[in-house]
Amino acid sequence: MVDILLLIVITISIIANILIFILYKKQREISEYFKRSLQEKKLRHDTVITEKITLGKQQLEAVFDAITDMICAIDKDFNIVRANKSYASYSKLSVQALPGKKCFEVFFKRKTPCSDCPAKISFTSQKPIFKHQKKIKINDKTEYFLITTYPVNDSLGKTINVIEHIRHNTEEKMILEQLIRSEKLATIGTMTAGIAHELLNPLSGISGTAGNMIQMPEKYGLNDKGIARITSIIESANRAGSIVKDLLHLSRKEEGTSIITNANEIVIKAIDAVRMKDIPPIEFKMSLEDNLPKIICDPGKIQQVFINLLTNAIQSIEAKKQIYEQANKSYSGVILIATHQSKGNVQIDISDNGIGIDDSIKDKIFEPFFTTRSPGEGVGLGLSICQKIIEEHEGKIFFESKETFTTFSVVLPSYSKKEVREVLG
Amino acid sequence: MYSILIVDDEFSIRTMLMDYLEEFYEVEVAENAQEALNLCKKKYFNLVISDINMPGMKGPELLLEIKRLYPETRTALITAYNIDDYINLARKSGVSNIIPKTSPFNFKELFDIVDGLLTGNIFGLRRYMNDNYINFGEFCIKSSKEAKDVREAIVTLLKERLGVIGDMRLILDEIITNAIYHAPAFEDGTKKYEEFSDVVLEPQEYVYLECGYDSEKYGVSVVDKMGRLTKEIVLYKIERQINGKGILDDSGRGIHMSRLFSDRLIINIAPKIKTEVIMMNYFTNKYRGYKPVYINEL
Repeated sequence: MVDILLLIVITISIIANILIFILYKKQREISEYFKRSLQEKKLRHDTVITEKITLGKQQLEAVFDAITDMICAIDKDFNIVRANKSYASYSKLSVQALPGKKCFEVFFKRKTPCSDCPAKISFTSQKPIFKHQKKIKINDKTEYFLITTYPVNDSLGKTINVIEHIRHNTEEKMILEQLIRSEKLATIGTMTAGIAHELLNPLSGISGTAGNMIQMPEKYGLNDKGIARITSIIESANRAGSIVKDLLHLSRKEEGTSIITNANEIVIKAIDAVRMKDIPPIEFKMSLEDNLPKIICDPGKIQQVFINLLTNAIQSIEAKKQIYEQANKSYSGVILIATHQSKGNVQIDISDNGIGIDDSIKDKIFEPFFTTRSPGEGVGLGLSICQKIIEEHEGKIFFESKETFTTFSVVLPSYSKKEVREVLG
Repeated sequence: MYSILIVDDEFSIRTMLMDYLEEFYEVEVAENAQEALNLCKKKYFNLVISDINMPGMKGPELLLEIKRLYPETRTALITAYNIDDYINLARKSGVSNIIPKTSPFNFKELFDIVDGLLTGNIFGLRRYMNDNYINFGEFCIKSSKEAKDVREAIVTLLKERLGVIGDMRLILDEIITNAIYHAPAFEDGTKKYEEFSDVVLEPQEYVYLECGYDSEKYGVSVVDKMGRLTKEIVLYKIERQINGKGILDDSGRGIHMSRLFSDRLIINIAPKIKTEVIMMNYFTNKYRGYKPVYINEL
């Protein structure tokens, strides 16, 4: 009986052991399984995150490069750490070639850092600098920039990089200046019209009274000396009168004097007009397009513009001729006149190989009272009147001064009867 | 002797005008409209010349009032301001002569206009020229075929003798076309000839041209027999062109262009008898840029 009991106990214990072993094994297997699956899961998770990070980086880089403003990060020694495509293309280098280069060298073409560098301030103050205005001459061209700098700090709070955000606003600046200029012109215009007419009244009285005195000296008890003095009064009054007339021309808005005509005819007439004056031998080369669309304009005014431009060209040639004669060099003046269509507009180019226009006065030549001539030769209203007239015609006037030739171009909208009808309703 | 009243608030202007005109006429001056009206009550004036901008009543208003009170009195305006801006006002006041205050003052022109207004002697290029006037030639157009040749003959004469033509070719073209095609009409006023058609004018119709010059200017006159223009129509057409409404008009463009592209345009009308258009250019630019209005109707 004991044996049977012992056997049962042994059997049970064996079975229990086996069971325990099996259970243990199973448990190991299960834990292994969980461990493995956890690892796999982690691995998968990591891959996804890496992928996400890569994608995010790519997206950010694309955004970074897509920004048309120029952006770069620099370190304390002005070395570029990173820059976007706009920055690279302005510097005429590839994005990859930029890191390590000095920002002032590649961007501003300088040998030393700019004295007013806003990034330097951001490094020391650890604060951003907003919209710092920068005007710089690069290759003889004045360029304007708006620079904003942001410091980038490490975990210890030390500024390791500065991000520079640079906006190229030369064009905006130019447009703004142009606006201010035309605003000024408009104000001057309104003022002058009133002043000029008011001046004409007494001037007419002065010159008329003086004229009577010269014509009928005995009526006024005038002797020869008196006549001589009155003559000089008349001359002064007439000079003042002609300036007043110029001013009126500049300011007067003459509406509705438009007719439909061919620009070539006006150009030819202007050339004839300047040729009638005593001018030095100058070769006039003409290339006028035959089938030019007609323009709607005030031919008298447009002719005045061409005469003005041609006169300037002749004077420029005369000036150069003098210089060459003094240096015993040979030179012959040429004026090229060309008309052609461009994008539904009519363009007239008047070029000369005279002395050209100095860079320093380029942005002043359309200003009223700006002149390079000596006093008495002109008050400097010519080109400002031209600009005014062309603007009235909704056209454009601009110039380009290259090595040998200076070209003034006038662009006028071409006419179609339909448009006029629509405008007039 | 004719009597003239000059109204201007600017002392130098009214005395200057008086000093000159009193050599030929009886002249009185007034500083403002009220003074002028008071003077008119005491004395009859054949002509009143008034400034436009004066303190108190303005020139056009004054002249309208004078016309109402004394219908026989002739009127003219004088101004230093832009005449184009006052054409509407002038038309409403029945004024068709606006003299510019130029510097130097143009006394010859003043005399021609004043004398024309007083005497009614308005026709002929010669009377607007100085004593040293030289007549280059006279032409008569009887058919549309002759128009171009006559125009070219005049242009050639100017070019060869004087070396300048201004915009004469352009405006002669317009004015001759008007004279041939637009001026002749049937009794009921409808147009007689179609533009650009071949036309032979009837015996009593003709277009007569004269050109010549003096020491300071040259000019061309175009006379057409009959003609339907009135000063009212001319002023209306000029006004319409100036404010841009008439840009596509056929009639009116010729007159407007002539005024625009010559230094002086004078239109003389003897109703139903003849119409004369005179265009003149000065050799120097001292009187250029002012655009007076000189329209005389008998």
